[in-house]
Amino acid sequence: MTLKTLTLDLGTVSSLQYSTGWYYDPNTGQRYYYNAAQNQWYVSLGGYLYALGYMNPAPKQVAVAPGDKFKIIISFKYMGPAITGILSRWAIGVYGALGFTEKIAITPALSIPANASATPVTVSLDQTLTIPASPGTDWDDIYVKMWGGTPDLGGTEQSPAYIYGYENALIVAGVSVVITDFKISDFAKV
Amino acid sequence: MTLDIVLAPLALTPKTFNAGDKVRVTVSFKYTVGINTTIKLCAGPYYINNFPLPNTHHMVDPCVGEADVSLIAASTPTDKTASVDFTLLPKAQGGIEDGTYGLRVWVEGTNAVAEQDGLIIVTGNPGGVSDMFSAMMPMLMMLMMMGMVMPMMEEAE
Repeated sequence: MTLKTLTLDLGTVSSLQYSTGWYYDPNTGQRYYYNAAQNQWYVSLGGYLYALGYMNPAPKQVAVAPGDKFKIIISFKYMGPAITGILSRWAIGVYGALGFTEKIAITPALSIPANASATPVTVSLDQTLTIPASPGTDWDDIYVKMWGGTPDLGGTEQSPAYIYGYENALIVAGVSVVITDFKISDFAKV
Repeated sequence: MTLDIVLAPLALTPKTFNAGDKVRVTVSFKYTVGINTTIKLCAGPYYINNFPLPNTHHMVDPCVGEADVSLIAASTPTDKTASVDFTLLPKAQGGIEDGTYGLRVWVEGTNAVAEQDGLIIVTGNPGGVSDMFSAMMPMLMMLMMMGMVMPMMEEAE
């Protein structure tokens, strides 16, 4: 089967930790969490924290079929010591009003090499997921999140230090056939 | 300023067939599917009436034909053409009456459907009004002749 790839840009990753805090919207009763290190707001839904605005329109769509290998490449700017044992989660699923419903996910440990220079350098990491035999045609969203490590990037699985995703990144060819542009070309006696 | 031009598919031209003819319909489409699969392509004539609702389309079921079409797994939209045959079964065999019918083609289990009204004109059904008239013609001729001869005979008497 074919290997397909898609790249996500995480922006700048820092090994420093900053103070964070909870906020409350009296109008809606909704609780929010702010991570000053990332300048990122999170919303609390169903016991999990979801970063507001972490899902973005995909820059391109990748067509995949059952059995295909799908490689996700993340890239970011980094400056600091080497970090090992970073926890991460790479997922394909369905993103909706109640957050991201994962359908395929892996949780590899990652490492970032040291960059002792005074300017950030681009680091790329990748992981490959396998599309199962019977994928849903709506499994078209992806995200990657990272937390922990030594030294600690900060965050937890529920409130990761870094999270980024794409909506409508995949065109999944499922078991059911999808037909478009169906028209009669000709008809005649035989 | 921009000019938007939408190119609509050309309408097909109606054709005349005799009852009993076999008709081959060719369709084109794009598809995606994750595994090799087979679809069932169906085609047949339909008529329109106002039962149970206005402008209801009814297939002439005895004339509907089917064909299996194999599709190779394709994760990107792939062009495909396929054909399906159906027979305009004569009325005497429980089939179609003379008249004008629409043509519908569809793929079972999907929302792929194409149709056009008034494409199929069916003639030549034995037992139609014209055939009845032909069969009765000699009898009518005899009656007409008798009608002309009888007054002459009465005058002669």
